Amino acid sequence: MQAKPPAAPASTALSDEQTLAALRAGDERAFRDLFARSYPMMKRVARAYVASDAVAEEIVQETWMAIVTGIDRFEGRSALGTWIFSILTNQAKTHSARESRAVPFSCVAPSDAEEPTVDPDRFQKDDDAWPGHWATPPRPWQKPERRLLALETRDRLKAALAQLPDRQRTIVALRDVEGHSAEEVCDLLGLSQENQRVLLHRGRSRLRAVLEEYLDAADV
Amino acid sequence: MHDSGPPHNGHSASESEPPIDEITCQQFVELVTEYFEGALQAHTLSQVEEHLVMCDWCVTYVQQMQATISSLRELRQERTPEPPDPVLAALRARREGEA
Repeated sequence: MQAKPPAAPASTALSDEQTLAALRAGDERAFRDLFARSYPMMKRVARAYVASDAVAEEIVQETWMAIVTGIDRFEGRSALGTWIFSILTNQAKTHSARESRAVPFSCVAPSDAEEPTVDPDRFQKDDDAWPGHWATPPRPWQKPERRLLALETRDRLKAALAQLPDRQRTIVALRDVEGHSAEEVCDLLGLSQENQRVLLHRGRSRLRAVLEEYLDAADV
Repeated sequence: MHDSGPPHNGHSASESEPPIDEITCQQFVELVTEYFEGALQAHTLSQVEEHLVMCDWCVTYVQQMQATISSLRELRQERTPEPPDPVLAALRARREGEA
């Protein structure tokens, strides 16, 4: 598949050229707009490299400082979004090294690929009547729309998302919370489609299990 | 605790089509994201769709995964992020330098 530049900062009413001209002219309105559109994705990506939201925010701020002060060095050889995210990931890697953390997306760890989606004990065993089929099947959630929108359920889901392993959390947040496409996320993080899907699947599956446990307990 | 009876509630492939080797529920749950992403090969896609026709429990599982994804979307912060003051100051300094 043809690689495309990350579209988050560039997917705008303004072209790269217009955005660049506005930034070089110090156009505050255009800058605020670009910042607001790019910030969620930038913070999620930065957070994959470091241990806290506060440091991720610091990395985003450093990145924007580098963009504002260094915009004249941008030669347009890559898309503006690619340039912005290359600065971001470089800043993030520096912080990551300072924290002695592993670079997060260099590979998919075996634990990501091998972790079962659902507890194997919930399926029938080889000597049961229907091996591999549900022994303890999921129960339909009652009034899911209302209950899933309840503040307590959202808080539970938010906490569970925060507790996912770094890579799973980043992918789920970029895809399902922020709504970015698989192509954008893969290009941005240098991930293959397959590895992206493994991480997304593991993350989503864990979160479904958390909601299931919570909602089933509430039904008892 | 649920009954652990046979999961199937329908028939296998129709008489006019060649039979598809069935997958188990345990195999099915591993394929859900690839199914949502449109990333399954034609043969596996047929297995998944055939399984969904026959297994209400896995339909429930799929509905729960879809509900989980929809709920995640609700976590998106609608507040417009504001640039930090030092960055705005650098932008203004840049503008004044140009003037």
